[in-house]
Amino acid sequence: MKRDTQPSPRRWLAAHAAGQRGWLMLAALAGIAAGALTVAQMALLAWIVSRLLVDGAPLASLTPAFLLLVAVLVARALCQWGQELSGQLASLRIRHAVRAELLDHLAAMGPVRVGARHSAGLANQLVEQVEALDGYFARFLPQLRLCVAIPLLILVVVVSLDWLAALFLLLAAPLIPLFMALVGMGAERLNRDQFVAVSRLAGHFLDRVRGIATLQLFGRTREAATEVHAAADEYRRLSMRTLRVAFLSSAVLEFFASVAIAVVAIYVGFGLLGYIEFGPAEELTLFSGLLVLLLAPEFFQPLRTLAQHYHDRAAALGAADGMLALLGEPVRPTHATTSPPPAPERCVALAAVTLTHPGRGQVLGPLDVVVERGDTLVVSGPSGAGKSALLQLLAGFVAPASGQRLAAPDLKIAWMDQRPLLIHGSLAENLRLAAPQASDAELERALTHAGLAELVAALPHGIHTPLGERGSGLSGGQAQRLALARVFLSDAELVLLDEPTASLDEATEARVIESLRRLGEDGRTLVIATHHPALMAMASRRLALHEGREQALEAGG
Amino acid sequence: MSDRSLRATFAPWLRLLAQRRTRLAIGVLLLIVTVFSAVGLLTLSGWFIAASALAGMALALGMAVAFDVYVPGAGIRFFAVSRTVARYGERLYNHDTVLRLLADLRHRLFTAMARLDDRSLARQRASDWLNRLTADIDTLDGLYLRLLAPPAVALAAIALLAAFLALWVPLVGLAVAALLVPTWAWLTAGQAWLGMASSKRQVAHLQRLRSQAIEHLTGLAELEAYRSREWHRQNFFQREARLSRDQQRLAGVAGLGVALVNLMVGLGMVAALWLAAAAWQQGAISGAVMVMMPIAVLALGEVLALLPAAFTQLGASRGAAERLNEVEEAGQATLSAGHAQLPTGALSVRLREIVLHYPGALAPALQDLDLVVAPGQRLALTGASGAGKSSVAALLTRRMPPSQGEILLGDIPLGEVDEASLRERVAILGQRIDLFQDSLASNLRLAAPEATDAQLWQALAWVELADWAEALPHGLATPVGEGGRALSGGQARRLALARLWLRDPGLVILDEPFAGLDEGTVARLSPRLDAWLTGRSVLYLVHQLDGGAFDPPGINFVQRLPARLV
Repeated sequence: MKRDTQPSPRRWLAAHAAGQRGWLMLAALAGIAAGALTVAQMALLAWIVSRLLVDGAPLASLTPAFLLLVAVLVARALCQWGQELSGQLASLRIRHAVRAELLDHLAAMGPVRVGARHSAGLANQLVEQVEALDGYFARFLPQLRLCVAIPLLILVVVVSLDWLAALFLLLAAPLIPLFMALVGMGAERLNRDQFVAVSRLAGHFLDRVRGIATLQLFGRTREAATEVHAAADEYRRLSMRTLRVAFLSSAVLEFFASVAIAVVAIYVGFGLLGYIEFGPAEELTLFSGLLVLLLAPEFFQPLRTLAQHYHDRAAALGAADGMLALLGEPVRPTHATTSPPPAPERCVALAAVTLTHPGRGQVLGPLDVVVERGDTLVVSGPSGAGKSALLQLLAGFVAPASGQRLAAPDLKIAWMDQRPLLIHGSLAENLRLAAPQASDAELERALTHAGLAELVAALPHGIHTPLGERGSGLSGGQAQRLALARVFLSDAELVLLDEPTASLDEATEARVIESLRRLGEDGRTLVIATHHPALMAMASRRLALHEGREQALEAGG
Repeated sequence: MSDRSLRATFAPWLRLLAQRRTRLAIGVLLLIVTVFSAVGLLTLSGWFIAASALAGMALALGMAVAFDVYVPGAGIRFFAVSRTVARYGERLYNHDTVLRLLADLRHRLFTAMARLDDRSLARQRASDWLNRLTADIDTLDGLYLRLLAPPAVALAAIALLAAFLALWVPLVGLAVAALLVPTWAWLTAGQAWLGMASSKRQVAHLQRLRSQAIEHLTGLAELEAYRSREWHRQNFFQREARLSRDQQRLAGVAGLGVALVNLMVGLGMVAALWLAAAAWQQGAISGAVMVMMPIAVLALGEVLALLPAAFTQLGASRGAAERLNEVEEAGQATLSAGHAQLPTGALSVRLREIVLHYPGALAPALQDLDLVVAPGQRLALTGASGAGKSSVAALLTRRMPPSQGEILLGDIPLGEVDEASLRERVAILGQRIDLFQDSLASNLRLAAPEATDAQLWQALAWVELADWAEALPHGLATPVGEGGRALSGGQARRLALARLWLRDPGLVILDEPFAGLDEGTVARLSPRLDAWLTGRSVLYLVHQLDGGAFDPPGINFVQRLPARLV
């Protein structure tokens, strides 16, 4: 949907930077102030030296200058601290904004489209990839501004002291873009080549670790360990080949900075000795000569710092690329929720809907389905017939490719599928996800209905027993029943159940079916996708699907 | 939080680093040469300019001055080149060292992990344990270049410079040392102390943030249905806010360090200037030397600048080292193995009153299990998923100790069996087939390293993969892709069966041996498997038996594991 108007990664990063213009500007200003104070510091140093050596001033008379120097140093330290803090603050806020943008988009895409993607990969984008933006905003962007401002400032000062010395620096200045390109190309190439090598090596290591149980069973771990070492060593050889080139670009930068200092030093020295008899050299003094020398390394310092942060930029662009691909994924159209409500006796209805999946074509429809209040509609059919897709359409988790979903206004839904959500927290917190206000007694009742009462009774802290990460400690069947307890707990009118008895053993299955029957008797509207004969027997209506279409039922269904 | 625990945490890794101490020493030496060149360039330049100015003034006054411009000029040029060359060489050499250390670290960790049992390895499936370990290794491989070399070089540079200055004016050397040595101590120990808790917490925050993101993404359907998406999102952002607080604190601490470097170096410069000027006015040193002194101190800033950021994050390295230490310890607490050799021929199996309780599980996985397989017999263990079939396999292959009860293999207690003998005499075909990112041949040779190509072809023919493999352009050398992705599930399972055939075990454990195979293949493979299993004890693990073609061949007994209610 947004695919056509996708900004480039660079522009997208710039847009986020614009959102924190204030803090980023403050970081840059603090950096520039620190730069100006550095110039002041050097000037004071040169001036004091000149007063002592040239004018023969007594040391005591220079006390105010010394105090001023100390004050400049303190002010500069504060500015530097301010630069770090504001850069970090901007970066933190931007990362929060990016996470919010990504979560908004994921919510708009809906559970079905999100579910089709690898959750670990998405989580990586939300967490680690967003973290990868840090260096770019906190350090690279402010430094990029300093890189222009500080050399300019120094150049202005040096021109006023000695235009020929300034010319040496200026001659290096056109080389600066060249340096940057060199450094950038080196870093990018490094990143690219490294990436392939790193992922291959990481792949090798992970591959061997994943299969470590098999290696143990075959008694082959010692050989595998040797292989791991050999692969890492091979990676080293490969990387060093790239690094030899990549480090050259920064060596060039280093070289020019060193040469500039050397040339300035020798020029100033010879000028002061009176060996140079043209240009401004004759007017050089100890003060101007020393100051030019002290400023020469500062002229190159911002660029050297930028070169150190260059990989932050590459990392951010790489991360932004992936995020933009995600943000370019189509979202559910919002008009689906504003369609006219169905007749009052109807809960939800689908009118001539079809559903397509990218890569698989049309998976459902055209289909007309009406769910009336109090119905127990059982959807059956072979796997792949579109049962889950139908439930997702009814829930509004996915928008139909054509046709309409008509839902009662403010329709509350309860949902349960084969992979229930288990959050890190207690059993009670996991249940309250469906009804935040529920009392402990209500939780206990829901657990009893779902057939979990015995388990909870056996737990040391009852419903307040914490579940491990992603529900570790619960078996698949227990997790399923926990999700069922949520259904009981919620006051949702429409209950959508996708294979509620899958992965349960027979005894539990029987109990769950009994609970579901009670749910139907409570007057809730049930839509159940299932193969199970006992569940089918509960149906007030049945719908058989075959290859995405309704199939005529045999009589008596 | 004491120094001792910190040292103990890093000790094993420092010992590992010490194996390459010559390289590390050369790396530090190269760093010192780089610093020496940088300081030398600026110092000599300052001296040269001041000396020239003084000589120029004397010349202007018509005094005869002998001033050699060529030696200092050559020195300045030399330092300009040596700074560049030394820096390039140092970076290359030290990165090579770091990559060597990475290889050492991976080897060491892999060896430790190879000793882990099933309980510990199961953790890697439960969370991103493995990803974190890999990240931890990467953190530790920078130990030398971030935390060891820079402080050593910085201290050496301070000491050398102070000594050099003391040669001219002892008081200047003393003052510089008195200012910069405590600064150095603060930049290392002080920064580490201020940042320790926050930097150590960061990994945990990121880890939790990641799990919460996964919860949010996989549970989007339920969260949307129950209208609790916003609530869960708030939880996610609360965690993010905690992470941000720590990061902000760390940035503040690191920024403080950076500011402090410049302030203290600057103050060192001021002190050197004042004291040198006093010495000059007393005639103890020349004017040029006086100018040189503050400039030399100024050049030290670059060396100290690396310290604050690295040491503020010491807690992260410490956390990484602690986690890796845990892996090593878990590997050492592994199951005991004895030296008893298993008998040849079919092995008897006996499990007596076995109880198995997974740590953290709400209910035991196995309760009072008794099981007997006489030599050469075939027992089918049935039960719903989660009933504990795989746990029985893990117990028998000594991949997990029982919480209670006794296991006898060939009438020898399992704990006394020699490791190599156990691996040779007990073979298992599990539900998960691990294929490695390697060639077909290497994957087969895992079972029989000495097997000839002809034997491999025979094994492939036995599982009806020989025709398929022959049609491949690279035959046995064909890579199977990451985790065997280039193969279908059925092909992978048949490859695993071929691996089995290459061995000569006395006990074979087969977990759903025909899963994922089509009926025709099963009909042809089943009699062959039957023949190969003759004369071996067999334990089949199956969901249920229905008397159809997919039932494994030649079952003598069936034992059903009760479903574990609640």
